[in-house]
Amino acid sequence: MCTPNRMKSAAWLLLLLVVSCVEPYAPKVPDAANSYLVVDGFINSRGTTTFRLSRTQSIDDEGAPVTESGANIFIEDEQGAQIPLAETEPGTYTVSGLDLNNAGRYHLLVRTASGKEYASDFVEVKQTPPIDEITWTAENNTLQFFVNTHDPQNNARYYRWEYEGTWEYTAAYGSSLKYDEASASMVPRTSSDEDIYRCWKTDLSTDIKLATSVRLSQDVINAFPVMAVSSDSEELRLKYSLLVKQYSLTQEAYQYWETLKKNTESIGTLFDPLPTQLTGNIHSLSDPDEVVIGYVGASSVQEKRVFVSREELPHDWRTGFPICPPLDSIELDQVPVYFGQSRAYLPVGGIYPAMGPPVLLGYTIARDICVDCRLRGTNVKPVFWQ
Amino acid sequence: MISQPKVRRNLKQINISSTEIKQHTFCKGQYDTCKKLLTPHQISLMTHLYRIVALAFVVICCLTQAQAQQTASSLISGDFKQATFEDFARAVEARTSYRFYFDPADLDSLSVTLQVKEQPLPVVLRQILGDTTFQFAVDARQRVFITKGRQLSVALPEGYFEPETITENKPQQVAPEIFGTEEKSTRKAASELKLYEIGLKSSNPTGNANLAGHLRDAKSGEPIIGASVYIESPLVGTTSDEYGYYSLTLPVGRHELKVKAIGLQNTRRQIMLYSDGKLDIEVAEDVRTLKEVLVEAEKDRNVSGMQMGMERLDIRTIKQVPTAFGETDILRVVLTLPGVKSVGEGSTGMNVRGGSTDQNLILFNDATIYNPSHLFGFFSAFNPDVLKTVELYKSGIPARYGGRLSSVLEVMGRDGNKKSFAGSGGIGLLTSRLTLEGPIQKDKTSFIVGGRSTYSDWLLKKLPNKSFNESEASFYDLNAHISHEIDEKNTLYLTGYRSKDRFKLAADTVYQFTNQTASIKWKHIFRNQLYGVLTGAHSHYDYQVTSEKNAVNASELTFGINQANLQADFSYFPTSKHNIDFGASSIYYNVNAGSLMPLGAESLVTPDRLQTERGLESAIYASDRFDVSPRFSVIFGLRYSAFKALGPRQVYTYAPGASKSEGTIQDTATYKSGESFATYHGPEYRLSARLGLTDNSSVKLSYNRLRQYIHMLSNTTTMSPTDIWKLSDANIKPQVGDQVALGYYHNFRANTIEFSAEGYYKWMQDFLDYKSGATLIMNHHIETDVASAQGKAYGVEVMLKKATGKLNGWVSYTYARTLVRVDDPETGEKINGGAYYPSNFDKPHDFTLISNYRFSQRFSTSLNFTYSTGRPITLPLAKYYVGNSPRVFYSDRNAYRVPDYYRVDFAMNIEGNHKVKKLAHSSWTLAIYNLTGRQNPYSIYFKSENGKINGYKLSIFGRPIPTVTYNFKF
Repeated sequence: MCTPNRMKSAAWLLLLLVVSCVEPYAPKVPDAANSYLVVDGFINSRGTTTFRLSRTQSIDDEGAPVTESGANIFIEDEQGAQIPLAETEPGTYTVSGLDLNNAGRYHLLVRTASGKEYASDFVEVKQTPPIDEITWTAENNTLQFFVNTHDPQNNARYYRWEYEGTWEYTAAYGSSLKYDEASASMVPRTSSDEDIYRCWKTDLSTDIKLATSVRLSQDVINAFPVMAVSSDSEELRLKYSLLVKQYSLTQEAYQYWETLKKNTESIGTLFDPLPTQLTGNIHSLSDPDEVVIGYVGASSVQEKRVFVSREELPHDWRTGFPICPPLDSIELDQVPVYFGQSRAYLPVGGIYPAMGPPVLLGYTIARDICVDCRLRGTNVKPVFWQ
Repeated sequence: MISQPKVRRNLKQINISSTEIKQHTFCKGQYDTCKKLLTPHQISLMTHLYRIVALAFVVICCLTQAQAQQTASSLISGDFKQATFEDFARAVEARTSYRFYFDPADLDSLSVTLQVKEQPLPVVLRQILGDTTFQFAVDARQRVFITKGRQLSVALPEGYFEPETITENKPQQVAPEIFGTEEKSTRKAASELKLYEIGLKSSNPTGNANLAGHLRDAKSGEPIIGASVYIESPLVGTTSDEYGYYSLTLPVGRHELKVKAIGLQNTRRQIMLYSDGKLDIEVAEDVRTLKEVLVEAEKDRNVSGMQMGMERLDIRTIKQVPTAFGETDILRVVLTLPGVKSVGEGSTGMNVRGGSTDQNLILFNDATIYNPSHLFGFFSAFNPDVLKTVELYKSGIPARYGGRLSSVLEVMGRDGNKKSFAGSGGIGLLTSRLTLEGPIQKDKTSFIVGGRSTYSDWLLKKLPNKSFNESEASFYDLNAHISHEIDEKNTLYLTGYRSKDRFKLAADTVYQFTNQTASIKWKHIFRNQLYGVLTGAHSHYDYQVTSEKNAVNASELTFGINQANLQADFSYFPTSKHNIDFGASSIYYNVNAGSLMPLGAESLVTPDRLQTERGLESAIYASDRFDVSPRFSVIFGLRYSAFKALGPRQVYTYAPGASKSEGTIQDTATYKSGESFATYHGPEYRLSARLGLTDNSSVKLSYNRLRQYIHMLSNTTTMSPTDIWKLSDANIKPQVGDQVALGYYHNFRANTIEFSAEGYYKWMQDFLDYKSGATLIMNHHIETDVASAQGKAYGVEVMLKKATGKLNGWVSYTYARTLVRVDDPETGEKINGGAYYPSNFDKPHDFTLISNYRFSQRFSTSLNFTYSTGRPITLPLAKYYVGNSPRVFYSDRNAYRVPDYYRVDFAMNIEGNHKVKKLAHSSWTLAIYNLTGRQNPYSIYFKSENGKINGYKLSIFGRPIPTVTYNFKF
């Protein structure tokens, strides 16, 4: 089915709104038999460095990324001094407490379990200036966050950001009961029970955010739109927090990220650039023609967090709410049917007659996702939460 | 005889009524011609003529009644097999008013075997007597004299040839004397039979003499371009040039000069050539002026013309092809021609025979147009009402053109009506246009001005979406042209053109671009065989991108190119076998390569300006068309072009042998103003040959080399208004292209069906491809971001065309490949490992059908069909995770293709009635673009959304689009 296309740009397309359309397209491409090594991560000059090794997979493969475990990874300086990384979980290699020489040059060495060796090019260590401020605006039904930073030394020039958005939320229904399997009966929730009503969730950034100040006379990034949340999302119902991580890049690294971004995030129209071959800085030491994906840079990280609570947002915004059907009700004798075997439903409260003596008639129940907030996040309050 | 005065007086009344009757029946029978009568000017002439004819008719009635009854036709039809000439003569006398006078004894050995249908007698006689020593002459009273050896002179001596041009109107005045007994029903036919004596009469004319003159439209006085002017025996012919000028060297003596042109009925002139002279021919326009039916084209140009790989489209043809917005669009129609492709609909950049979009020289009245589009390519920047013809050269490019590798698209505007004031216009869904034209000094000076604009801005404001009504899109174009005939030998042409676009995307960035040209042409005829044209032109193109939303980053990016041309072209026709063109040209370029300026006091944008580029491109050329025999002719041409990159400029020099990058800059050389810092030059060969196999078929061959010193840099698939033009310099070499082409041409059914098949192979060197991740805008060392590419293209184009009749149009099929290789040893840049890969516009199979069917004079339809292989695309092959999101690994560049493209369009033209005294003639065009609603891919793309990679197909004209256009003409 062809639906009218809503292009955000391109005036000519607006004129053609009635006739233009976008539909899903799945090309028939032979499965790339190759599974190239992918190196994701950077050398953090102050703190914890994490690299993830994986393999490319077929485009329609819905499985999780294939991790590359059992490899030996080192950070090496030009003098040959090596810092090993340890595999903390399959495919993830970490070392913490680094304090690298800002004037030195470093690269990454990888030896896979199959014995193949790879090395990245030596790179300088970039100093990331602190984030000056994270501001936000609430206009046009969008909460938009902006980053402001500057480097008085005019050295940073190229920037990349990642962010983590964390929000507080509740389940749709607060439950006062729980089903006790031992006694096969409903018992009240007490303070010793885990809170299943109030939770927090964190999402990591998925898009690449880049900016440069090379065209400016000073190394200033003013109000770079780093992230936006729509007013109707549930994230904004109580309180939202955004953590922005700032990385300074070399020009070469910037080009790599820019190409990666262009190739995967903006190739919508004919006026966007063609996909170009992405050349990272990692090479196989045995086979120079082997494709290795990834760019290993080295820099420090700067972070800043900001909170936005519902009260600060426009009053007329209708923020999202968990979408749940109205409560179901069951009679007492149906309790074993609903709670005996299955965990699909959770009790919410008791049903009592509207008038007369409070005789328990049955229970209101709801799907678990509507009652237990932990199914979507965690009930552990983040340490930074205010 | 005594009673004749009385008879005449009595007949006067009859005379009038017979005129009326005649006119009436005439209208019924021949609608076309009837309409032509309807201009007031002609009406009076016609009435006059009819009176005369009718008078003569009645007189003859009285005198020779029997003869008068048989005057219905003077055309000969019949089937003769081994008949004697006497039998033939008797048969002709029986059906026509011709009377034969000959000596039967002389002709008894002649047998007549022929089959004719409605041919004029002279044609038939020439066929019969062609190879014999017999001559014939027909006098004004339709007496046919057959003599042996020497022709009997039947014309009255007219004295010396007068230098004044003989036009069709002139013989009209003398018609009664000469054509007293002529029974032809139209005045044109009458003058077609009049004998024009040219030159100084001598008793014993021998040798050759030159005949030259202009072909003009009788109604508007505009020159007629591309008309064939020829005699059949011996076959000597030429084509009128862009000024309507022709020059023919013919054997002295009597000839029938034939004229065939697009939009005109075939006509002929009887001439008696004594010595060099002039004959201007005014030909009445075909009547269907309002709506555009493919009429009598230059029927046999396909076979007998020298030029190959050239398409000439008349504005009438162009107007018939339905377009997306009901707007006549020359570039859209050019894109339907074999060998011309584009990456997608709604993009104006065209790829001719595998060339890239910057390799087309687009000329509008001799000035270069850099961006021929409006609104990102959805409209072409040419107002259809001011245009006359469009010529596209794909191979065998004449030596007079140069500077681009793949094609020349010459767009010629109209001169304006030299006889009366007229106007035309149209109201469409998105645009409206108005054109006015008329004489400033009758028959000498005329003007034409045209304007076109859009109301899309207004439409956008009406849309109920904020991002839409914060957007703006507007454009206009203006044309003005004056042609002035100073005297018989000097003509001056002035053209001005401006087109401007402005669009704003969702209240942020404003894009603007402007094309502006001015040209002045002076044509001087030195003598019959030699004329020259001096042209001065100035072209300007610029764009601005302004962004104001964020005060700190507010900026204006500008780019501009100016070019000034001066050229002199000469055409020399020394003998009937040679046609020599020569000339010289010089172009001075001045390119503002880019500047980025802060906008507003708060802006922190560093002002940045790339160095201005200057260059001088000069060329001299000469070519000779040599008609070795009527069947075989060749064109030898040589163009020598040279380019100098001029200072002031600072030029980086790079370490030799190393890849050009910022790291390998060795030195900076500074050049003073006017100092040349890079020079390139080389010959450009142009060679064409034609061999006629039969009267209806021929083979043509051509080879040409072209050099291009200006390059467009783009890393988008299609041509976009913000592409950069770059001159060759010390680090960027000129592009060189060679092409060989071979074609076979065959006409069927008396030239009504044309068949052509052309094959070509093309090599291109040193054109620019961008490196991965290249920055093209505001790059101070662009040479580090581009790679030099090689290309090759080959293909076969087959076309079947029916230019006349109720059903007309063309069918074409093209097989074409175009491949690119980037393996630059200098820069180390390789794409796809240095192997050849298909270019963005490599679409091997292409089929096009353009058909028109005319139900009546007032109602016609057209149905078009297009199919082509999908264009190449770089597809994602695998995915991987980087930065919490799946990413895509792409295939080799252009390793796959988008789905095939096809589209059906349908249009109806409905004319208003053809009454004379209407205020304005109007017509409606109803069209449906993409009748089947096929969702052709405009673009295929993949996006990483919510952690998933989704492929999308964007169709911009994914449904049938109905349009209505109202056109008027007054």
